[in-house]
Amino acid sequence: MKEQEGYVDCPQQQMILYVEKENGQYGPIQTGSYLTRNYLDDYFLKRNNLIAKLKAQVQQKEISPVRFFMILEDLTLPELSSRVGIPARKVRKHLLPDAFSRLSHEELQKYAIVFNVSPGQMVSLDFPEEGQIPRNPAP
Amino acid sequence: MSTIQYQHRMGAHCESGTVTSLLNHAGLPITEPMVFGIASGIFFGYFHRHKSFTFPTFIVRNRPGEIRTNLQKRLGIKFKTYSFRNPDEGMIAMDGLLGRGIPVASQVDFYYMDYVPSWERVHINVHFMIVIGKEGRRYLISDSYFPRPVELEEESMRRGRFAGGTMSPKGFLFHPLQVPADIDYSRPVLKGIRKACFNMLNIPVPFIGVKGIRTFARKVTEWPAFARDTEHLSHEVMKINILLEDQGTGGAGFRYMYATFLQQAAEVLNRPRLKDFSAELMEIGDGWREISLFAARIGKQRDLGPERFKELGELLRQRADMEERFFKELKRQVH
Repeated sequence: MKEQEGYVDCPQQQMILYVEKENGQYGPIQTGSYLTRNYLDDYFLKRNNLIAKLKAQVQQKEISPVRFFMILEDLTLPELSSRVGIPARKVRKHLLPDAFSRLSHEELQKYAIVFNVSPGQMVSLDFPEEGQIPRNPAP
Repeated sequence: MSTIQYQHRMGAHCESGTVTSLLNHAGLPITEPMVFGIASGIFFGYFHRHKSFTFPTFIVRNRPGEIRTNLQKRLGIKFKTYSFRNPDEGMIAMDGLLGRGIPVASQVDFYYMDYVPSWERVHINVHFMIVIGKEGRRYLISDSYFPRPVELEEESMRRGRFAGGTMSPKGFLFHPLQVPADIDYSRPVLKGIRKACFNMLNIPVPFIGVKGIRTFARKVTEWPAFARDTEHLSHEVMKINILLEDQGTGGAGFRYMYATFLQQAAEVLNRPRLKDFSAELMEIGDGWREISLFAARIGKQRDLGPERFKELGELLRQRADMEERFFKELKRQVH
């Protein structure tokens, strides 16, 4: 890739790209993310749609908040089990609303740490992400 | 506690950038492509089903940690490493090193790095950054993905260092202990290239190296069956772009950085022919870049019918053919 083709104006996400400089030498330039510049709006559109869909499923008692966050954060059952330190067979039960309502405070706290929210936000699903959606940086 | 005088440097990739930065700080003037190349960083692996991934995925670099271990073996550098079962001990040890003026690399779960924008954060336990100071309850971080040093809350640092899951960091820390005064780069460069050729051509499993690219080309047509809905499929297809470009590769899934390494290797070994290989890999990288842009475009347009996946498969197959030819020739050149 030629140097002049490598520059992308995206201050939100800077990166190093290796390019061919004018003197024929290859080396690094600091540039921006093409994907973030042009497609961040689409990422947030999909994420917000997913959050709305999963919240509706929680409200209709089809899934528990554990399943909500597990899907949102793209974790498999074995991975989540390993991260919270709770056996997979128990985590599988916690994906359903009934078992979730019987979680101990300690178990809820373990899940909250993995999902980086407070135990209260874990139950209410009222976490700040939706309020922090940046405007589309693309022209 | 105060901040260590440290020259922050951006890097293309977190591990090679971190290792390069620490070695530069220790007085060794080595480039990131040289670190990456000597450590045989270039790679390909495709995982159609894996217990840690919710969707098929691929990797374009060698196993996390191998940049440091391969470099240690090949250049004779000694790194001091630390792992901890007890988080309290791990945090005390980190503060102790900072107190002694030692900048220290830390392995963390990227998800807890609260200086990272929300859309970039994912649970991945193999992010590396350098801790260069602490003020109150905030650490000062030299993260090669960022133009300037950043700050991180103590609690986020603890969560990141002691996250569970696949390749759990266990508080892992390292810093250079001893850097040889004079290094002859010839043998390490040759060893690094030979091992990279072996990894790309000769590992006898169908999902690694060139065979892995072919498996990806064949299996990508099955991706729609894994998706919840069109938006999920679009998200996963667009992640091809992230994995090749945005997730710290230096562009084109590390192909541009490896091309830069080969150009530098030509000088070190006094083998001008390697410059031709370097130029050829740059072109192969342009093809990977086309795949990235194609994936982003069809993902955004939700143009995700079977024909598009066949097209994507064909683009990948072309990369496999070109890389097979390339690495076979490169292997002959360095033997």
